[in-house]
Amino acid sequence: MMNNKNFSKILVHIAARWTLIFLALEVIFFSVFGTNYFSLRNLQNILLASTTVALLATGETFVIITGGIDLSVGFMVGFSGVICAKVMVTLQAAGASQAVAISSGILAALLLGLVPGLVNGLLVAKLRVPPFIATFGMLGIAYGFAEIISNNVPIMGLPTSVGSIGHGYLIYWLPGKIFAFLQKPENLTRLELQNLVSIIPNVTVITAIVIGIFAFILARTKFGQHTYAIGGSMDAAERAGINVKRHLIKVYMISSFFASLAGVTYVLRFITGRAPAGSARLLDAVVAVVIGGASLYGGTGTILGTVIGVLIIGALEIGLVNLAIPTYNLYIAVGCILIFAVLVDQFFPELVRKE
Amino acid sequence: MKRVIIGLLCGCLVLSLAAGANAKKLRFAFMPGVADPFYFTMEKGAKAKAEELGVELIVGEFPKAWGPEYQVPIMKALVARGDIDLLFTAPTSTEALIPVLKEIHDSGIPIITVDTYLGDGDYSKPSNYSFPLSYIGTDNFLGGQVVAGALALLLDGKGKVFLENTNPDVSSVIGRENGFRAGLKIFPDMELVGVEYCLDVQETAAAQTAAALEKDRDIVGVFGVNVFSAQGAYQAVVAAGLAGAVKIATWDATLTLIEALKKGEVDLILAQMPAEMGSLCVEWGVKHLTEGAELPKKVIPGFFVFTKDNVNDPEAQQYIYK
Repeated sequence: MMNNKNFSKILVHIAARWTLIFLALEVIFFSVFGTNYFSLRNLQNILLASTTVALLATGETFVIITGGIDLSVGFMVGFSGVICAKVMVTLQAAGASQAVAISSGILAALLLGLVPGLVNGLLVAKLRVPPFIATFGMLGIAYGFAEIISNNVPIMGLPTSVGSIGHGYLIYWLPGKIFAFLQKPENLTRLELQNLVSIIPNVTVITAIVIGIFAFILARTKFGQHTYAIGGSMDAAERAGINVKRHLIKVYMISSFFASLAGVTYVLRFITGRAPAGSARLLDAVVAVVIGGASLYGGTGTILGTVIGVLIIGALEIGLVNLAIPTYNLYIAVGCILIFAVLVDQFFPELVRKE
Repeated sequence: MKRVIIGLLCGCLVLSLAAGANAKKLRFAFMPGVADPFYFTMEKGAKAKAEELGVELIVGEFPKAWGPEYQVPIMKALVARGDIDLLFTAPTSTEALIPVLKEIHDSGIPIITVDTYLGDGDYSKPSNYSFPLSYIGTDNFLGGQVVAGALALLLDGKGKVFLENTNPDVSSVIGRENGFRAGLKIFPDMELVGVEYCLDVQETAAAQTAAALEKDRDIVGVFGVNVFSAQGAYQAVVAAGLAGAVKIATWDATLTLIEALKKGEVDLILAQMPAEMGSLCVEWGVKHLTEGAELPKKVIPGFFVFTKDNVNDPEAQQYIYK
């Protein structure tokens, strides 16, 4: 016989994972009612379509755990993307090899992309500017610079290998014939091309590895512990001997690093640098973090939770297309899930797992 | 009685089986460029033709803004259904969509690009973007020339004009710009004093036109290449107190712009034929898949020029997008 206490304990365990259950139900629903929703190709589509949001949300998780917010990340995607594309195009025109042009472009974007984060961090930590205001200002600055660098014109004419990286897959498999890594087999017949199975997009590999590393940092290292400590109570963290200011600067730099990486993946996927590239994704990123169990008051949240939040949105977005339902419904659905997530957070704090 | 019922049931079964065998309907997908009346009209034209020919038409979500980052995920999800026989789409970038559509093409789905194209739009020469069956759309260059000529007619062939464009990486509007430039060359007394890109944001178009009107106070004509740029240009002209003194030419006979023409807010509208384009995609697609017909690499429906004088004519009404 199961007594009441045990039963409610199990219920709590289930409820604590409501996002995961919700995601599963969502996928089951679309798989049943959609057309080929549960196929390798479509599931990979969900991952690819979630790239930008996943990267932005991971960086945002760090910031939100400290009790802050980073609104600049949406436009940071365009900022770093434009730098990346500009460097590639310029070097290519100067006669550099594709490898040099591409790697310099990526490196430049990732390095310069840290600057807005550094400034955000300095403003928030040293000058006590509220994160909302500091990063909101940076949003405009990043966008303006992106437009100036790109001269209001999307940057095109990138080295051709950019596309083969961005549209490439980790594994190509032609059942019974070819099994290749990274290199798309050439000279295939029409029929072979149709049967070629492409597994795991390169962009997803990059995204997953980087997110994995930072999930480890947050969950398993001192740096992660300090991040939670600051979000729990800044004064207590200070008294415990944590260099809060320095830590906050690093956290905002992590956030802008992720936004820059999102910009680089944008360039790889679309072979173009566009100033307004990621602007529409900021909201989705914050929503994903909150759905994932992070509290906007700081102190709680996990990367795993955030990733589940990202997938809930991505699976929904692609599912609605699959069912040919107008995506305006997506806004309603995402809005409802967001409010539900916040209500869970507010009324059942014991369900939100710490760390 | 029992026999009759059994007989009836068997009959039904046979009928339904036969119907099932016949139900191998062609299924086409249409992936529009952005949510606007032009593509809505194209969808209507395509749907009407699809119904006529017994094709099931699945329309992808209308992207909320112009750009590959909005269009590509929807397009990929659409073809991942795996039951599409043909895709026709308006690529939102001449470059970014090449690998995406190539992958779809390689997976066995033939592609027609409509309204906008890949690369330079010439699919007759072999290139990495020559795989689509056809480009069905306006000759934007020609249209730009028509606008230049019609605007020159309104302005007696002289004066400064300004061009408000949208996106520099979109083939259609760049074609309009180049055609407009070429068309103006015929008129030695006309001068193009500036070109700006508003990226489909009306407020930006208004601000840019206002700045241009301030810089060259003797501008007499503006060509806004689409609804956002033309409406923005009109707002700037009104704000500068120049309504009537500056003629505005625009592109696309949306209801909004036709109303604007009737009110005298714009003076000239070049209409494309989006419904015709959608309809042609379906028609040629069916011919290709059922009869193996070779499609022309470029299909260009014509134009219609609206002015205040003909906007109420009964025969002009069919060219309004609705």
